[in-house]
Amino acid sequence: MWYGQKVERDLSRWQAAGWISDTGATAIRADLASRKPPFGAAAILAMLGAVLFGFAIMSFVAANWDAMSKLSRLLLLLATLWACYGGAAWLFQRQLPMFAQAAVLGGIAVYGASIMLISQMYHMEGSPPDAVLLWALGALLAAVLVPSTAALAATFVLLVTWTWWERALSNSAHFGFLVPWVATAALAAWMRWRPGLHLAAISLIAWLVPLGFFILGRHAHWLVALIGGLLAAAVVAGGPAIDRRARISAATFAYAIVIAYAALFIMQFVDSRWFFGTAPGGSLGRLILLAAISIVGLLGAMLWALKTDNTAALWLAYAGFAVEVFMLHVMTIGTLLNTSLFFLISALIVSAFAYAAYRLHQRRAVTPGVAS
Amino acid sequence: MIPFLKNRIVLTLVIVALAQTGVLAGMVVDRVRLLKTGREITLPIVPVDPRDLFRGEYVRLGYDISRIPVNLLDGPLPKPNAAFYVTLERKGDGAWLPIKLTSKRVEESSPDRIVLKGRAMFGRLQETPSTPTAAHMVKYGIESYFVREGQGPRLEALARDKKLAARIAVDSGGNAAIKGLLVDGVVQYEEPLF
Repeated sequence: MWYGQKVERDLSRWQAAGWISDTGATAIRADLASRKPPFGAAAILAMLGAVLFGFAIMSFVAANWDAMSKLSRLLLLLATLWACYGGAAWLFQRQLPMFAQAAVLGGIAVYGASIMLISQMYHMEGSPPDAVLLWALGALLAAVLVPSTAALAATFVLLVTWTWWERALSNSAHFGFLVPWVATAALAAWMRWRPGLHLAAISLIAWLVPLGFFILGRHAHWLVALIGGLLAAAVVAGGPAIDRRARISAATFAYAIVIAYAALFIMQFVDSRWFFGTAPGGSLGRLILLAAISIVGLLGAMLWALKTDNTAALWLAYAGFAVEVFMLHVMTIGTLLNTSLFFLISALIVSAFAYAAYRLHQRRAVTPGVAS
Repeated sequence: MIPFLKNRIVLTLVIVALAQTGVLAGMVVDRVRLLKTGREITLPIVPVDPRDLFRGEYVRLGYDISRIPVNLLDGPLPKPNAAFYVTLERKGDGAWLPIKLTSKRVEESSPDRIVLKGRAMFGRLQETPSTPTAAHMVKYGIESYFVREGQGPRLEALARDKKLAARIAVDSGGNAAIKGLLVDGVVQYEEPLF
């Protein structure tokens, strides 16, 4: 829901309660009306229109591809590329930036399609991830020069595709990913585009979480979990200090939970045979230890999220907790622990947490100024 | 400067379009140079897994040199997903056979030898081959050939009967490209440069 609609709902309530005067409410409404939502219906329709145009061109080309000579195919591809950027230039001049961004995105799509079609025309094979990197760098160039948020988003998607493909083929950590990632993340920061920073974090996580499979004997998930834990601890220790420079501590904490718990999940349930061995006796203690670390960590994260009003982190920790309990239940059915005993333990933990949350809530409710 | 380009946004978009056009043109020019100036060798095509030979609109081409016996490895094992080099030698009957596989490029001046750049077909070469007769599966970028719709089954049948060969252009860097396909030694599919 857009912020304006949310305020409108509360505004009627506050006005009825007599906290806000009628002139005050009118002034707030007028101010809201002057600020347009970031994504209008027109812009979304323009993006869809660009996609449909793309499909129309593609099906036309596919129907006539065989009949064309190589040269006419090349010229067609280049003409489409230039038409996209020419259209973008025209739209920027007409003060239609959202439509222009759609055209830039179209140009990047045509550029990528051209790399693939030229490879096909000339029977090139080489290494497919290299082609994706070439595409990503073209998108990054457009993102820097224009500057284009749409191109920046496309760059992150392409970089993740590149690193996953490269890892699948080379079975190595692929630290090379960090070079274009740093450049693209720096660009997102320079553009002061918050969704871009989120994309930077998500793409780094997409690279970082599976990293444990590729370094230090291929079972280094503890290192990834440690990185996530340290990141969360850094926010707990210096959140306000971080926020004085840039307001990123809340989001960083949420992403730190994802990193740490994803790695702990892999240790417990994906790479578990390595961590626990196959012997039934020796494995239980280590599983319990890791499960305890996960649960205590997640509960701690929930409390901190409650204390700092961090809704995203709270829900992520809830989700992690639910997954952990469910997985432990599945793993231990009829085997390691008696199911009823397991439920008793989880019930005790959850109840303890509910009590803690209640106390915390109560303490906040009696804070002067909030009480009604 | 052209007045049109004085506008910043127009100028930047022209730069983006020029750069991307440059990359695409570079791909084509590099390929055309390889096809025009590369040394020519002819390699017989061997059938690959018959069920997988014809997929969509391209044929998968297998070669004798796609399998390099493990004992031909000379020096350290190439890094995963990195390119390496295979040296071929022309035998008395005109057939090209692999003689060694190296991580680094080797200079061969003899007209009866040629160096091809290859990559492991499945990302990496086997570190510990199971038997001495095991082979490294190698691709050279000449394994797929896009054909018009309906041409696939014909080529598939010819490959199975071992009547198909590929004319390959190889440049000094070891890059290889298909110039055309030969049926019973006669060129039937020739690649136009443009």
